[in-house]
Amino acid sequence: MADKIRIKNLCKTFVEKSGETKVLDNISLDVKENEFLVLLGPGQCGKTVLLNILAGLDTPTSGTINYIKGNENGKEDIKEMKMGEIGMVFQKYALFPWKTVIENVEMSQKLKGIDKEQRRKSARNYIKLVGLENFEDSYPKQLSGGMKQRVGIARAYASESDILLMDEPFGALDAQTRYQMGEEILKMWRKDKRTVIFVTNNIEEAIYLGDRIILLSGCPATVKAEYIPKLERPRDYMALEFLQLRKEIADNTDLAL
Amino acid sequence: MQTRKYDITNIILSVCGLATFFLIWHLSISLGLISERTMAKPGEVVSTFIAKLSEVQPDGDTIQNHFLTSFQLSLYGFIAAIVIGTPLGLLMGWYKAIEYFANPIFEIVRPIPPIAWIPIIILLLGIGMPAKAFIIFVSAFVPCVINSYVGVKLTNPVLINVAKTFGASNWHIFKTICIPSAIPMVFAGFRISLGAAWSTLVAAELLASTSGLGYMIQMGRTLIRPDIIIVGMLTIGFTGALMAFVLNRFESKIAPWRAKK
Amino acid sequence: MKTNILKNKFYLGLSALSVLLLLLAWTYVSISGGGLIPTPFETFKRFIELLYKPVANGTIFIHLLVSLKRVIIAFLIASFAGIFLGVMLGWNKRFNAFFGPIFEILRPIPPIAWIPLVILWFGIGETPKVVIVFIGSFVPIVLNTFSGIKMIDSLLISAGKVLGANERQLLWDVAMPASLPAILAGMKTALGSGWMCVLAAEMVVAKQGVGFLIVRGMESGDSSLIIVCMIVIGLVSALITFSLTKFERKMCPWQTR
Repeated sequence: MADKIRIKNLCKTFVEKSGETKVLDNISLDVKENEFLVLLGPGQCGKTVLLNILAGLDTPTSGTINYIKGNENGKEDIKEMKMGEIGMVFQKYALFPWKTVIENVEMSQKLKGIDKEQRRKSARNYIKLVGLENFEDSYPKQLSGGMKQRVGIARAYASESDILLMDEPFGALDAQTRYQMGEEILKMWRKDKRTVIFVTNNIEEAIYLGDRIILLSGCPATVKAEYIPKLERPRDYMALEFLQLRKEIADNTDLAL
Repeated sequence: MQTRKYDITNIILSVCGLATFFLIWHLSISLGLISERTMAKPGEVVSTFIAKLSEVQPDGDTIQNHFLTSFQLSLYGFIAAIVIGTPLGLLMGWYKAIEYFANPIFEIVRPIPPIAWIPIIILLLGIGMPAKAFIIFVSAFVPCVINSYVGVKLTNPVLINVAKTFGASNWHIFKTICIPSAIPMVFAGFRISLGAAWSTLVAAELLASTSGLGYMIQMGRTLIRPDIIIVGMLTIGFTGALMAFVLNRFESKIAPWRAKK
Repeated sequence: MKTNILKNKFYLGLSALSVLLLLLAWTYVSISGGGLIPTPFETFKRFIELLYKPVANGTIFIHLLVSLKRVIIAFLIASFAGIFLGVMLGWNKRFNAFFGPIFEILRPIPPIAWIPLVILWFGIGETPKVVIVFIGSFVPIVLNTFSGIKMIDSLLISAGKVLGANERQLLWDVAMPASLPAILAGMKTALGSGWMCVLAAEMVVAKQGVGFLIVRGMESGDSSLIIVCMIVIGLVSALITFSLTKFERKMCPWQTR
């Protein structure tokens, strides 16, 4: 598979009155086209910062990010990403409370000035993808946590970007819903493949979802190891290989299980 | 580094803003855009203020005395309102019988703006000190009661249940759970009360009085002395802001767990 | 169940009793006061009389309309100007740095304290009343709009940016609707304050309006006129609060309570 994003020597230091805090230290990694990449790391490390930088919400102190838009005759077409060209799913949903489900989902297309009929049609498609057909006109407040995050995912998909960033999207959900959403997101992704960067601090979730797992260290975050689970999907949490990989990762990190 | 630079730019902008404001104020009068009869220059306001510290003319008293008259009155009315209103509101929030008995009366009285009480009270009590103290009391009383009442009503029921599992008595729960958790609302009520008391007092003094800051600005209007009016307005505004500030400091002393960083 | 119903009846009885006692106390005071205050019944009679018999060239209804007209004109102007200033102060740091301190100096001056100066400026016609009401409703609208914009969840701003909103869209499609509840709350406070200001202005100098009427009652020792005015004023205040609360619900249907 071709590379989609190439991150080189990325560093980020926050300067505050109390002093400097280094959160990202020399991070280099490639993201392949249409792969489901999981960034696994402990709570307070710079995972969110990394995603924010990838989304353009924050700027790195040093280092480069290249987005490869196309590959013609072996020559890569490297371009700056503009805002609105990358989809993002937030841990705390970040849905617009004054907009209904469908209005939330169509937001990015509305901002691009696409006419109402067309964007509604496309929004309905994505709402169907996440299985919320009957809730188009509900307000976020009327939905459960899991349903809210489905809207968040549909909204990210509807930006029609080929890169989706997911910042601990299931972190605020209860355990049961979390497992269910894991299954669902893989189903969606198989139906409509995009390059996904999925951040989590949950080892099981990482193994269940990832084509590839990048293990990050604590603060400041550095790339510690890479794992490629050789397991058939849907993966079985109880399978021997699953448990072995889980142990291997757990032994290599300070993450609590 | 970046933030520091921003701060300096903002401070410079603030200074420029104020300077522009005073400059426009001054120039619009000295260039004759606004008549000197209706507006005083900033410099005149300052000199009038200094003069009024010792000069009793033309409105009958020095500014300190006007200030003291108003300040004392509003403080008396306000404190009386707090002392009576807050316990009443708290009890209304906790004891259903008191709630159902007192609430209808407050629902009837609440919508009447405090200044609408002025004429009837003046008619009944005259224009002296007791009338004004009572007007201020009325204006400060209602917000005190309502906010204390709502504050108790909004107590997190989980906290009450926790106390119940400890076997706390009804009175004990009220005292140790409901009252502390109502404090933010109670203080919000004090702030509203204070604002209402202060501006109602000014209204009362505008309408019927022989001293006080409201009387002073009313005299400034009658005598066409804009400098005196503006000195009075600024004193009223500054005193209001100062009282609100003191109240906030007091709140963070009493409820340190709410202190903002 | 049965004791509950009994209890409820007891409490409702208490409410009825308190209103009854209020009326009784009022009657007692008026009878023992030797006609200084009218009895509730006399007040009611006077109210009916005021509906068709003009006082100072107008029935009470005309005076009420005059006052309301002043409030509404000033309130509408204050809403536009106040929302504009509040949004600018909250949205643009430089604008805030420049104009914020000026606003902070003028803000603590109670609107009522402006009355003498405004009368000096504009005489005794309609303008000074409208200006006073404007001052009284402008400040709460600016303050609420400002804090509404300042308190927007930064996550929503991030979400808007990621979805591709430019600065203008961020303001109109994210910040404005997000602070709408705060703006409406400010307008509610403003209308109440405006209603109080019109009374104060009319009490100081006017030839028409409810505030004028109540002072007329004071000057001529006509206590029943004063009390009728107080009741009408209270009813209008309650109506203002009620209708604006309705309006809030209609404008912000996503805010289920």
